[in-house]
This record gives sequence, C-alpha cells and structure tokens, in this order.
Amino acid sequence: MSTKSAEEALFENPDRRTRALIRVGTAIAALAMLALIAAIVLRFYQAGQLAPRYWEFFAWGSTWKFLLSGLIGTLASAAMAAAIALTVGLVFMAGRLSKIWPIRWAAVALIEFFRGVPSLLLIYFCFLILPSLGFKMSSYWMVTLPIGLNTAAVVAEVYRSGVLAVPRGQRDAAVSLALNGWQTFFDVIFPQAIRYVVPSLLAQLVIVVKDTTFGYVVTYGELMQNAKVLVANYNSLVPVYLIVAVIYCLLNYSLSKTSRALNNRMGAPATLSKAGGRLNRHAG
Amino acid sequence: MPDRIRIEKACKHFGTLKALNNVSLSVRAGETLVIIGPSGSGKSTLLRSVNRLEALSSGDIWIDDDHVSNDGANIRRIREEVGMVFQDFNLFPHLTVAQNIELAPVRVKKLKRSQARERAVELLARVGLAEKHDALPGQLSGGQKQRVAIARALAMDPKVMLFDEPTSALDPEMVKEVLDVMLDLAKGGMTMMVVTHEMGFARAAADRVVFMDQGEIIEEGTPEQFFTAARNERTVKFLAHIL
Amino acid sequence: MGDLAKLLHEFGPAFIHAALITWKLTIISYSLGVLLGIALTVLRVLPIKPLKVLVGAYVEFFRNIPSVALLIIIVFALPDLNVLIDYEPSVIVALVLVCSAFTADNLRSGINTVEAGQIEASYSLGMSLFKTMYDIVLPQALRAIVQPMTSLLIGLMLSTAIASQVPVPHRELTGLVDMINNETASGILTFAITAAFYIGTGLVISWAGAALDKKARILR
Repeated sequence: MSTKSAEEALFENPDRRTRALIRVGTAIAALAMLALIAAIVLRFYQAGQLAPRYWEFFAWGSTWKFLLSGLIGTLASAAMAAAIALTVGLVFMAGRLSKIWPIRWAAVALIEFFRGVPSLLLIYFCFLILPSLGFKMSSYWMVTLPIGLNTAAVVAEVYRSGVLAVPRGQRDAAVSLALNGWQTFFDVIFPQAIRYVVPSLLAQLVIVVKDTTFGYVVTYGELMQNAKVLVANYNSLVPVYLIVAVIYCLLNYSLSKTSRALNNRMGAPATLSKAGGRLNRHAG
Repeated sequence: MPDRIRIEKACKHFGTLKALNNVSLSVRAGETLVIIGPSGSGKSTLLRSVNRLEALSSGDIWIDDDHVSNDGANIRRIREEVGMVFQDFNLFPHLTVAQNIELAPVRVKKLKRSQARERAVELLARVGLAEKHDALPGQLSGGQKQRVAIARALAMDPKVMLFDEPTSALDPEMVKEVLDVMLDLAKGGMTMMVVTHEMGFARAAADRVVFMDQGEIIEEGTPEQFFTAARNERTVKFLAHIL
Repeated sequence: MGDLAKLLHEFGPAFIHAALITWKLTIISYSLGVLLGIALTVLRVLPIKPLKVLVGAYVEFFRNIPSVALLIIIVFALPDLNVLIDYEPSVIVALVLVCSAFTADNLRSGINTVEAGQIEASYSLGMSLFKTMYDIVLPQALRAIVQPMTSLLIGLMLSTAIASQVPVPHRELTGLVDMINNETASGILTFAITAAFYIGTGLVISWAGAALDKKARILR
C-alpha cells in the first residue's frame, strides 16, 4: 500500500493548531539557523581568522598538490588495508565456520583480539614495540597492517552474518544437485552472502579511512600528516584543519551514501540488518 | 432512520491528482454500505476522510451532528466514535492480544484496567479468539490478527466501523472467518462502511452498494439492483472483471 | 614470568588507574552523547524543514569525521577562534559529539522500524501524538536499537585511545603504553595487559548487551 515511514506518519494531516505550530516553528528555526551561521562568521572575523594571510596559500597550486598527495596517501593506505581486511577476513571466517574445534577457537580468539583493541594501540605496537624486537617497518605498513588486521576481524563477522542469512534451502538444493562442500560454499552460498553484505563492507571502508588518520602518529604522509605540515609552515590552524575536515567528510559521506544506496537496492534480509548493528563497533 | 454519516461535496487533491471529486454520500444509522471500485478510485481516501486520517481539500463530513474539522480535540473525539480496521491489520507487535485491545480504552477513555480487561475478554470471545488472550500478534495467523484488530476497534464502543479492504491481505482459507465476524456485526445493527472486493459479503450484508471510479460515485443501489441490473456501463465492466 | 611480576609490581597501580580513566571517559562521553543524541532525534523528527536539514548535516559531519581529527581541531584550532577547552574536557567533547551523531542516527532508524500503519491505527483509536509515541513508537524503537547502541558503547570505549594524542593530566590505557614503553623494555607484556583490559571490558559489555537484546526481542 504505502511506503511511508513512521517519521512521516506521525505528523501527517495535522490539525489546525499543529499546522500553526509547524509554521511558527519553521520560521523560528530558519531564523535560528541564520543567526548561528552569522555568529560563527562573526567569531571568525573577530578572532582575525578571516585575514588573507591565513587563507592566501590556498590559492597556490603547491598547497593543493600537497593536500592531494596527502589524500592519495590516505587512499593508498586505506585501499591496502581494505584488501588485507577482505582477504584475511575470509581466512578468519573460514576458521570461524570450521568443524574442527581448535581451529574454530583460534579463529574466535584472533577475531576477538583484533577487534577488541583500539587500532591506535595496534599501531603503537608496530611503532613502539616491534622496532625494539628488531622488526623494521615502513611508516606505511605501520599504519596499514594494524588497520587491515583490525578491520579483518570485523569483516570476518560481516562475512559470517552474510553466510548465515543465505536461506537454508540453498544448501539443500546444492547438495541435492550432488555439489560437494567446497562447490556448495564457493559457487552457491558465498556469492549470495557477498551480495547481501556489500553495503556493510562499504561502511567498514569508511571506518578504515577514518583510522588512516593515525598515520600522522607514525609520520606517514597521509592527509592528517600533511595538514600538520601545512599548519606548521603557514601557522594557519583553523583554515587548514577546516578544509581537511571537509575533505574527510566529503570522502566518507560519499562512501556512506553509496553504501546506503546499495543497501536499498540489494534489499538485505531482515536478519542481516539486525546483525549489522552488532558489527559496527566504531565510533570513529 | 437518521443519517449517521453525511459526506457533502468531498474533494481531495494530492498535488494535481484529484483523489476525490465532489463526492456526496449518506449512511443511515445501522446501515451497512459497501464501496467497490478499481484501485485508484478514491474509495480508501473517502473512508480515511471519515476518521480524518486524510484531510479533505474541500467539502464536509458529519458524524451524527458532529462536524469533522481541523480542530485537534474534535478529531480525537470523532475517532473515539469511529473505529477502523486496516488491510494490514496494524496490530501492535510488542503488546499481547489483550493489551492491544485494552490500550486505547485505558489511555483514551480513561477506563480502569480491570474494566478494560473484562471488555477485552468479552470481545475476544465474540470474535472467537478467547484463548488467544496472552498471545503475541507474531504468533497469530492473518485471519486471527484481523479478528483481533476488529475486537480492538470495537473496544472503543464506536458508533461507526470503517473497514478498508479487510480481507485483501489474507490467504483465501482465512477470509471467511473474518467476513463472518463482519456479517455478525452488520446483523447486530452496527453502522458500517466497507471497502472490499468480496462480493459474497456485499450480497449477504450490504444494505447498499456504491461503485466508485476516478474519485467519483458512478452508481449506487441495493445489492440486487447492482448485481443483476447495473445501469452504468463502467459499473457493468467492472463487475464483469471481478464476478 | 619474572618480567610479568616485575611489570605488575611497578606499574600495577598505574594500569588500574589508567583503566579507571578509560572507563570514566567512556561512561561520561556515552551518557552525555546519548542524551544529546536523543535531543537531536526529537528535533529531527519534528516536521520542521530547517531542523531536519540542520540535524541531518550535524549527523553526517560528526559521523564521517575521524575522531582524532576532531580532537585535534578542538585542542589546537579552536584556541585560534578564542575557544579554549582544557585537554581532558576536549577529549570528552570530541567523543560526545561523535557519540551523539551515531545515537541520533540509530534512534531515528529505530523509530522508522515501526510501521506507519501502526501509527495510523493508533490515531484511529483516538490516541494523541504523545500517547502514540510513548505507548507504540518508543517501546519498539528502543528495543530495536539495543544492538547498535551496545556496539556504539564498545566503539566509544576503544575511541578513548585518542586521549593519548593530547597531554591529558591522567593517562588512559593507550597513553600508558606509550609511557611504560619509554621507561622499560617489556613492550609486549605491557601491550598484552592493555589489550586484555580493552578486550575484557568489550566482552563484558557485549555479553550484557546480548542479554538485554534477547529480553527485548519481540517475537515476529
């Protein structure tokens, strides 16, 4: 019949008094919004942050090239971390679903370990502790490997929830067609599981990008690190960090939006969206 | 017999779409009116206008001498007198069957819970579901859910009952149990407006049948007139499709 | 083993203290963040366009910005705008802003899991907007968000690690690792103990959340 949401239904066809309140409320809110924007701009002005010397270097190509190289650093690390997460995650999931209990226990332990600690802690491990044990890593790997493994643990659970969401009948059908275990899994179950979880995987990618920010801790040249250099060079904190914040938001927003659009199109079954809540542990 | 429901020159636009075009209709107290018509004919919109789930663009509706207006308190009062049963049942899944039925009487009519509980038990027996008292909606079949929905609406002691395609979402074998309850209700003298495709019900229970198409009433008459000697060509065509 | 005993002897209290700091930051940020998130959701659900746009923008901004970037902005950039916030409050502010955005998003999703038809049915029975929210919408919405809100709590706890990036007066767990590593050579053990605290807390929260969720689940 109708695909109305609860939000819409609550205030549909309001009575006269509610309609008046809505009109008044809208006017007040619009004014408040304008006042807020004005207040922020005013604060910028009063603190002298609108002065040209804080912004003029943005007119130079070199500034943007530097920021761009930072962005590329972010994406390079994120892409590799994602690749690690997707492959290692598959291994973890396979271990998790194994019938052999030592393997299953080991997989559970690894998964709980890698997603139970902050990625920053893992980065510190690579940055502070490993070198003293003789392991030398480039700053790129100091960021990428921990994030990759951390995300792999989450991805393993995402894969698993996808597999569990595939209808029981699929396995029955495959088995009755005389497919063996491997074939059943890789030709029938897993492709469907993947299709269910693509939106969740994209959401994990957003988290990966957010984690790459820690690259500045190990002075890996991603966006945050380069921003700090610009800040040091031009002594312009607010504008630089503002621009960088906007870049991160735009990047992650487009990833999130794609994820949500795919979620609508692929129509993950109800069981899956419940599991999804359990998986996304990141508050940033 | 006096008019219980009076609809005069009802118009409803959704943007450029005219869902209701100058519809006038009366339902006498105790009468059962069945509305038929193709989808998009405005029959649901008309029904939902009676309890103000839809607001008319122009025109008036009266329940007895109460005008259905834009005033919040008035709307709520009207809704206490008008009960509605939906195609999708719309039971509250987090409440038991008994709690579903008791909720509005306690919250709106300010009944004591024990009184509401008594009434709920009575109504459940009437729709044939006495033993489902503490069940959750998720545990019921479609036909059972709809019967609970009818009991829930009746718990408010309405003067009028509106039914918006009550059996369209049911598997065929469950349609009869719901129609039986509705038939019982009609025979008991309830004023009813029913939008349905179930012609058997119309023949058995309706005092009048109305055919709507594209927001207008095309033809009106008794069931016999309708099903044997429909006058308008569009009515005839529609009946040919569904009979 | 001797190393472990030595480490615990020297830094045992420090670990406990750091764990308490981590838990304190988590609890304060989560409580404030959830309250703010609820207020934001109320504003967002109202049929007032500017509010929907504003809250929508707020949620998208604070959901997508890396927490540590936000912290750095608050600590280092805001003073240039004459907004001075102390280090530990800055961490809490950053976490509260992010937590509120996720809470607002989760709660709104929770509200929208309720079918519009139920709201229409409630109105048809003469129930007012407030009664409908209280008896029909909120009970179901709150049940629906137990899992995402549990994950958020765990995620927030892990995010308290960002406090290690600014000179807070009391170190939390990750900051402690940095300090201990500078003073001793027992890197792996330090790391293991810290990891154990995080994982342990996470498992307890996870278990509690799952128990709560099981109780809250409605048979469908």
